[in-house]
Amino acid sequence: MSVFSLSQADREKRLLPQLVDLVSHHRRHCVRYDRILTAAGVGSFSDISALPWLPVRLFKTLELKSIPDDEVFKVLTSSGTTGEVSRIYLDKAAAATQTRQLGATLQTVLGPQRLPMLIVDTKSILKDRRSFSARGAGVLGMATFGRDHMWALDEDVDGLRSFLVKHGDQPFLIFGFTYLVWLHLYEIAREHGLDLGNGILIHSGGWKKLVDQAVSPEEFRNRLAAVGLTRIHNFYGMVEQIGTIFLEGPTGGSLYCPDFADVVVRDPETWAELPPGKPGLLEVVSTLPTSYPGHVLLTEDLGVVHGVDDGDWPGKRFSVLGRLPRAEARGCSDTYRSAA
Amino acid sequence: MRFRFGVEGDLTAPSEDRLTVGDPRMADFLARLARRLLAPAVARRHPELGSLGYFLRPAELKRSVERMTARRDALVFPRGNVFHLPPANVDTIFVYSWAISALAGNHNVVRISSRSAGAAEVILDALNETEADPVIGQTQRMVTYGHDDAITAELSRWCDLRVIWGGDHAVDTIRKQPLRPSARDLTFPDRTSWAVLSVPGWRAADPAARRNAVVGFANDAYWFDQAACSSPRTVFLVGGGADSGEVRAEFLDLLLDVVDQRGWVVDPAMAVEKRVNAYGLAATGAATALDFPDNRITAVTLAGTGQAPRRWIGAGAFPFAEVDSLLDLVPAMNRQDQTVSHFGFTPAELRAFAVELGGRGVDRIVPFGSALTFGAVWDGYDLPSEFTRLTTLQA
Repeated sequence: MSVFSLSQADREKRLLPQLVDLVSHHRRHCVRYDRILTAAGVGSFSDISALPWLPVRLFKTLELKSIPDDEVFKVLTSSGTTGEVSRIYLDKAAAATQTRQLGATLQTVLGPQRLPMLIVDTKSILKDRRSFSARGAGVLGMATFGRDHMWALDEDVDGLRSFLVKHGDQPFLIFGFTYLVWLHLYEIAREHGLDLGNGILIHSGGWKKLVDQAVSPEEFRNRLAAVGLTRIHNFYGMVEQIGTIFLEGPTGGSLYCPDFADVVVRDPETWAELPPGKPGLLEVVSTLPTSYPGHVLLTEDLGVVHGVDDGDWPGKRFSVLGRLPRAEARGCSDTYRSAA
Repeated sequence: MRFRFGVEGDLTAPSEDRLTVGDPRMADFLARLARRLLAPAVARRHPELGSLGYFLRPAELKRSVERMTARRDALVFPRGNVFHLPPANVDTIFVYSWAISALAGNHNVVRISSRSAGAAEVILDALNETEADPVIGQTQRMVTYGHDDAITAELSRWCDLRVIWGGDHAVDTIRKQPLRPSARDLTFPDRTSWAVLSVPGWRAADPAARRNAVVGFANDAYWFDQAACSSPRTVFLVGGGADSGEVRAEFLDLLLDVVDQRGWVVDPAMAVEKRVNAYGLAATGAATALDFPDNRITAVTLAGTGQAPRRWIGAGAFPFAEVDSLLDLVPAMNRQDQTVSHFGFTPAELRAFAVELGGRGVDRIVPFGSALTFGAVWDGYDLPSEFTRLTTLQA
């Protein structure tokens, strides 16, 4: 059962009424969301791009939830670039849905079985409470989709070899942040001739560090193919829509929306939706957020839709181009920030 | 440590070189600097340098010196060693506070932020290209150094007066470095500034006067991305009753027109920033309506005067609130409030407002278009007097 099945027309037909219901649901249950929509004077929503969006950073500055305090089952946090932290409130049902749909999305490329798993990270990141919320939580969340975990950064080449001896002749899962995969796994595999041919790599975490080394997504893919790794899926996701990940298709180059999600690219000048080919601010849309009004979020990432219903999977095919540069405020404040 | 102006060497070494209050060598130097800054090519590229050049022209300097030396009850001398920590992001402030202090004859060390750019670089070039008496290079130094607490500590022990710009955080951070017992701080903490518009006054003004008012307001608001301490944030519509809405609409239309003509742009991150903050005001009930007529203008209707935000919410973000009279604003003002820029009021109305405030808030009340004009009296301080010390003599 793939969650990458709906054409754009079918997707919109199915998602729009659900999203319109979510708008009313959150207005009824989150007074702050209702006040925002009332003040901004939103009208009717004839298509997905007309739905009212919230800037994703609002979850860093404001508590927004559509469930009573005593139904909060889990609070997700993310560290932000400026030290601000998003707080995402889940009740039991929402937490279960998020996990289930994340699983369904990954099963599209991993199959129904839990696979042996190589985590390209170090176990100690789970001990460091400060980084735990960001990188650690990602690893921890993904670890539940594998078995017989091995922490690649805690192992020398013999450790990796023994993992491959044990599991390398069957499909296995590799998960890690893009630049760690490049700097550690790829380098070691190339140097020692390790065969990663049955691996399925799921990676994320932005390209900035690799762009600094002049490694493009294409080169990343080509070089990994040289060590046998051809099943590679980058993904894009965020804690504010934790169960929704936008996954790279089998042939690479583009991200796709699962059936319960969509993306809109907006002109940051007029805020109108941009057609394929025109880069702008990326808005992520998902029907999963029921416990907080995170169903339509304007990210601070730039993106572009490459095409619609013309790729590996149906729906919009897009790329993330990087972060919107933060506005450098002028003004009288902020002369002297201590390095500490 | 990068020396940006003045002779390189030990900043805190005792020096035999002395300037006097209103020293002609310094007055000459500043006048020559002013001429460079007022050169058409410079002023065109950096309009804020035009205001600075104007502030430094000889007539203005003479007035400052006269203010320093006018008293008959005491002899006036330089305060001594002054250590300036100006803000990183307003490119001209460092010159204003340094120039008054230099004219008062002090030894000055100015820490120039490594983030300084644009106009600040032009000023530093102009300073270095201006012919100077050797004593000026020995006594006036501008340096850039990183976040080095040891250097800040040494300069703090050296100075008689430490001038800290840059808001509450900067003041708190730098105050961790002790001063000599006889020294003190002159601080410029976080401030908030407002605009007040008389609705009857607007009605009475002809179209040209209205347009001029908006041009002035636009300069006040957009010049430093609405983030200078004296940039107007909330606009209070005063005495309009039912007419307020119509005047606000006309004001915003004119503002959009002026912003268009100036070709000002708001970058996408700033546009998002404004949304985050405006939505935040709505979510907490502080705002009842949000209008986004254009990326460069966000108009926010406040639920009440007490809800006016005191923190920066982005460039071109204008909360509006209505009151019956200026006096109704008095309870909403406090010590943090610095500049109130006005349009359409009578001098008597403004004076009554100032008297009622009683110094408990608001240091400057100025017409639209003058909010960013630096003065020798700033933040409630008479700077020429802060930069000098008095000796009494009874024969």
